[in-house]
Amino acid sequence: MNITFTHEQMALQREVRDYMSILMTDTMREEMKDPEHFEGGGPEFRRLMKKMGKDGWIALSWPKEYGGREATPIEQYIFTEEVMKAGFPYPFLTTEAIGPVLADHGNEMVKKKVVQGILDGEVVIAIGYSEPDAGTDLASLKTRATQQANGNWLINGQKIWTSLANFSDYIWVAARTDQDAAKPHKGISMFLVPADNPGFSHTAIHTLGVRTNATYYQDLELSDEWRVGEINKGWGLITGQLNRERLSLVNHGPVYQLYQEVAEWAAANKNSGGEQLLNKAWVRGNLAKVKTGLQALRLICLKQAWAMGEGTLTMEQASAAKVYGTEFFVEAYRLLLEILGHNGLIQADSPGAILKGKLEHRYRVGSILTFGGGCNEVQREIIAGAGLWMPRGR
Amino acid sequence: MNFSYDENQLEIKQLADKIFSELANDERQKLVDASGSRFDPELWQQLAESGLLGIAIDDSYGGMGFNFESLCLLIEEAGRYVAPVPAIHNLVSAAMPIQRYANDAIKEQYLGPIANGKTLVTATLANDNSLNAIQNSNGDWIIDGHISCVPYAVYAQAVLLSATSEQGLVILLVELNADSKTLTLVEQQSTACEPWSQLHLQQHPIAAENIIASGDKAAECQAWAQQLTIAAQCAMATGLSDKMLRMTAAYTSQREQFGRPVATFQAVGQRAADGFIDIECLRLCTQEAISLLSHSVDNSNQSVINEAVTIANIWCGDICHRLSQSSQHLHGGIGVDRDYPLHRYCLWAKQLELSLGSSASSLEQLGDQIAAEFA
Repeated sequence: MNITFTHEQMALQREVRDYMSILMTDTMREEMKDPEHFEGGGPEFRRLMKKMGKDGWIALSWPKEYGGREATPIEQYIFTEEVMKAGFPYPFLTTEAIGPVLADHGNEMVKKKVVQGILDGEVVIAIGYSEPDAGTDLASLKTRATQQANGNWLINGQKIWTSLANFSDYIWVAARTDQDAAKPHKGISMFLVPADNPGFSHTAIHTLGVRTNATYYQDLELSDEWRVGEINKGWGLITGQLNRERLSLVNHGPVYQLYQEVAEWAAANKNSGGEQLLNKAWVRGNLAKVKTGLQALRLICLKQAWAMGEGTLTMEQASAAKVYGTEFFVEAYRLLLEILGHNGLIQADSPGAILKGKLEHRYRVGSILTFGGGCNEVQREIIAGAGLWMPRGR
Repeated sequence: MNFSYDENQLEIKQLADKIFSELANDERQKLVDASGSRFDPELWQQLAESGLLGIAIDDSYGGMGFNFESLCLLIEEAGRYVAPVPAIHNLVSAAMPIQRYANDAIKEQYLGPIANGKTLVTATLANDNSLNAIQNSNGDWIIDGHISCVPYAVYAQAVLLSATSEQGLVILLVELNADSKTLTLVEQQSTACEPWSQLHLQQHPIAAENIIASGDKAAECQAWAQQLTIAAQCAMATGLSDKMLRMTAAYTSQREQFGRPVATFQAVGQRAADGFIDIECLRLCTQEAISLLSHSVDNSNQSVINEAVTIANIWCGDICHRLSQSSQHLHGGIGVDRDYPLHRYCLWAKQLELSLGSSASSLEQLGDQIAAEFA
């Protein structure tokens, strides 16, 4: 056992860090102040994505035939961490979750147009899974796709929490294609819906943290070439990437960076009684609790990335990481915000905001993850079943 | 980066599992418990004969010459069975500092017999400064004071201790000679029935060659031995907690109430899943600490090691407590019945939780380390 990076991995870390420090421009930071563009989509975001594509970063973990560097999951994890720490709204789900599925299951047109577009930094894809009545129980989705006599599909339904759909080029839509399937998940197919299709529309949902969307598919006619994978076999395409997706939700880097920033802030600031904050026992205690949790998170993430490379990642491990990481985030934001105190609640760009109001924003966004990406109670059921062999109830 | 164990290590794990399953199973442990003292000499001899007591002892002294990480695999398995043997005290807290800091004569005298199970050496290395040492003009030493909770002293031939002196800290080996008029042992019973003793030393003479380290070296030796001991305790806690959780999952899967297995109640499954996540955190933080302690060649990353060990100790205290309580609770009445093996795990968990620093004191220590880093 040896839990340290190799020299090559450390070199990659430096390479990405240096690259991102130059890539992340003031224009980009300015653009992200607009809530519409906090998660990307503005002109500077588009420009920088193309640059990252041209410089070969998007294809980092991709096979050579796509011009990739065939990075291992650990190297990809290092990349993800540095990109997240830089604060760039990189569309990981497009490049790491959907992209590889399209490369594996898409037809030549999809590969040429969409996959190449992703790698060139010109395509962003939103995920259309959840519906108003199908959240954690995704297989109960009702959006319907019916094949017409001419082979085209007619899609009708509504999706919710379709993040990035307000600027995405495509929506990756799960739709029911067999109403009578023996089991609900056996009647689902996957489609790539171009966002400029006249049957597609969206409205904004403003959450506590970020903007997301409700998306509508009204008599949306789609040529069969936009279907990905076999008819009624869509479920496998959804679940195939879930473990990888769960890992990308709980990256250690951004919270570690916040921890450092808060510790530095506590070293440089005094409380109202004139005492150095870092000298207060409770401040040290909060930092120690965050550091203790961070250490476990870092190791969980690295072990999963390693296990992914070895092909030994289990469901229960992926679920454990998701539950632990997301609940730790919530706790860490609280502990760190306690150190900043009342002034920590001043919003970014308001006079007197501390650490650019980052924690004020993070705690609002943080609550999404415990139920998003697979609700934590369901993850715990997976752990009890797959990890501890306990029988499931109803 | 590699999270797997090599072949030799996996063999150690398997061998330990085989011996413990034969000689530390529930039936045998009931006999040991009935004896009133949790030490099983036959099991200890079996471990010696299989070579496992010498895992981390140099081959020149008859050991296998593997590293600390390999030794911790034996310790983790000992935890999985709450094996009634002084694995940590003897093989980690005593043997490792002797091997690294003692003179050749002491190494010659003790390491071989430790590896072949003929001699048991124990250790007490907490920073309580309750022993005082004075050096004579002839170079020998006189020790005064008393300490508590010396594990397995009644079975040990010697105990490794620290004492304060005018020259600073000294680490010394005190032979536990029954006829000595200046040394008295008073037996104590720990919560887990581990044989403990109070050790009283009155003007007790120690030969100069029994001084293992003094001055700066002594502080270094004590800190290092404490870190190894904490990491080994964390490894033991990992095996122990994991087994508690597995027992709980198995028991609730067959125990029926309201016409169905208790495990099918969501609240039960959720609480067990929390235990699974807890143990994963403890295991990984422990592996990190052990890996750093095993592979560091110099002191260049000392602060990283300090931090990793302290963090592992925090997890150890928290998880020992949480898993012990949730396992008892999910078992219901049988979990506290002394006829059912879980009780041994829970008692041992409490002991690991408080040995060499609780979670709370370790958190304070970590907070101070962080403050020093950012100040």
